[in-house]
Amino acid sequence: MSQTGEILSNVNLKGDYYSIEFYAPETAASAQPGQFVHVKIGDDRGDWILRRPFSICNTDPEKGIVNVVYKVVGKGTAALAKTAPGVCCDVMGPLGNGFVPVPGTIPVAVCGGYGAAATFMLTRQKEKGVLLLGARSTADIILTERYEAAGFDVRLATNDGSAGTKGFVTDLIPQLLAENPGKKYCFYACGPHPMLMALARQLRSLGEMGQLSIDHRMCCGVGSCFACVVKVNAPGTADGWRYARSCSEGPVFNLEDVYVEE
Amino acid sequence: MADLAVDLGKFQLKNPVMTASGTFGYGFEYNKYYDISQLGAVVVKGIRMTPSHGNPTPRVAEVTGGMLNAIGLQGPGVEKFLHGEEYMPFLRKTGASVIVNIWGTTVAEYAEVAERLEADKEGITALEINISCPNVKAGGAAFGTDTALAAEVISAVRKATTLPLITKLSPNVTKITDFAKTAEDCGSDAVSLINTLSAMSIDIETRRPVLANKTGGLSGPAVKPVAVRMVYETARAVKIPVIGMGGIMTAEDAIEFFLAGATAIAVGTANFVDPFAPVKVIAVINDYLDRHNCKSIYDIIGKVETA
Ligand SMILES: Cc1cc2nc3c(=O)[nH]c(=O)nc-3n(C[C@H](O)[C@H](O)[C@H](O)COP(=O)(O)OP(=O)(O)OC[C@H]3O[C@@H](n4cnc5c(N)ncnc54)[C@H](O)[C@@H]3O)c2cc1C
Ligand SMILES: Cc1cc2nc3c(=O)[nH]c(=O)nc-3n(C[C@H](O)[C@H](O)[C@H](O)COP(=O)(O)O)c2cc1C
Repeated sequence: MSQTGEILSNVNLKGDYYSIEFYAPETAASAQPGQFVHVKIGDDRGDWILRRPFSICNTDPEKGIVNVVYKVVGKGTAALAKTAPGVCCDVMGPLGNGFVPVPGTIPVAVCGGYGAAATFMLTRQKEKGVLLLGARSTADIILTERYEAAGFDVRLATNDGSAGTKGFVTDLIPQLLAENPGKKYCFYACGPHPMLMALARQLRSLGEMGQLSIDHRMCCGVGSCFACVVKVNAPGTADGWRYARSCSEGPVFNLEDVYVEE
Repeated sequence: MADLAVDLGKFQLKNPVMTASGTFGYGFEYNKYYDISQLGAVVVKGIRMTPSHGNPTPRVAEVTGGMLNAIGLQGPGVEKFLHGEEYMPFLRKTGASVIVNIWGTTVAEYAEVAERLEADKEGITALEINISCPNVKAGGAAFGTDTALAAEVISAVRKATTLPLITKLSPNVTKITDFAKTAEDCGSDAVSLINTLSAMSIDIETRRPVLANKTGGLSGPAVKPVAVRMVYETARAVKIPVIGMGGIMTAEDAIEFFLAGATAIAVGTANFVDPFAPVKVIAVINDYLDRHNCKSIYDIIGKVETA
């Protein structure tokens, strides 16, 4: 559950996005789509002491490889991008509850930016599905080739219209449903909070099935510190909601459990 | 192998390494990594009478040498703690020494929680009275920064239970030894220190505080020298044992606290960095004692040379 995590490769995908492979055989052996690893970047006890959580994008259980796709956004990820293969980063995982494929449904991954990493292992299902990927602009569109190679139908939406439909990823859903009225879908989502909340409202009003990966700034990653809590429905309580730890009770929650503020 | 057993007056521990409240959940999460009964004691997250949501998010911020937190004592409430499968019933099964950290928003609530735990005390080694959480508005900080209020709380809890009592002190005071003496006078069997230092972090791009609660408590390596100094002063001011904590990441850090006068120590923020931190601390303390030909942990407790 905690391994030395030698870096086997660490390559730039485009712009600020990187793909890294860790040797983490215990994690690779059991990782499910939507689970994450908690990575100690370097030994620094000064500038940053906490681990960094990343979705497990892919694994090779035979070779013991765990692949993570990350965006450089701050100190830790910037340091990681400069770290050469051969260096070790303690890797904890797999952590959290992942997506649970629903048999007999077509998987639809609905993602924003690097959220596409969290749903990639759903492409291992027999049913070939759809990736609906939203981003600010074409610069934040990643992993589409991998999804296509895995047989997924990839559709894009960008805020500035630089790739795919101009608008939000949720705008792609009515069209998808209209194309094949008889089909049963299950939506698996990971992305920024506002996107997930908009999606939750939309899926509920459409009566569609869904599982959403919702997280918040993490600290321990295992459920002990109560830092990364998100609101989930708690019927029968005074407020109707409670704070659930996204690391240990999530990060994937069923659509029914997601608390959407009106 | 040196003898690591310590005597905290009203209770004994097989070794002096505990977990710091709020950094180890209720033990359940870490028992997946190792057998938590190896630890001197497991100190659980703060418990009050009723369940509480805690503060809005973001609740943590990383800073140089540590972190800020304003969790706001989210918790299940005392009934669920005593009966919920993953709380006390689980802890009893592990055989770990359990110290329950308690808090309330009024003096009466502190006493009530203690009384409720007293009635179901099987498996509970001691209570730790948290008069020092900087993140809770009604109570918490106020109790820990005013000796008269602190005295009221500790005396009320003392009347409510026969369990050994530890009073957890706030570093956010001018003279921590005054509070340690108050705890001793009111029947506390030990004191633990330090809780987090009241602190703040601002995002310069948005010009907003990083924490939703605006301020939070600083913990981690950055606070260690402050904590060592406070433990040193407190150990000289009171006769009851002192439990030291604040920024202990390694056994070397822990040994500084023993030398300063702590009879036991607690590992906090380090659990977030390395879930195995407390067991590694125990092992390396052992190595240190062997290397220095010490037969017992008492050979280093309070042995800082200041002459
Ligand atoms: C379950 C989960 C899965 C994730 N998966 C991925 C992924 O596959 N690819 C990817 O690029 N990123 C992912 N993230 C976000 C990633 O953890 C942050 O981008 C990263 O922690 C930033 O670290 P930093 O030091 O570069 O940033 P800094 O801003 O310097 O970090 C400061 C602190 O804030 C925290 N933090 C900052 N941004 C975020 C954020 N967006 N989410 C959570 N914590 C944050 C850091 O962990 C750190 O404690 C995931 C987050 C979670 C919770
Ligand atoms: C996330 C977090 C939650 C905490 N919750 C509690 C708590 O519930 N009760 C308490 O008495 N102290 C709490 N503390 C304080 C710690 O027990 C400890 O006193 C402090 O963090 C200093 O030790 P450290 O630097 O090793 O973490 C908390 C600290 C952190 C970081």
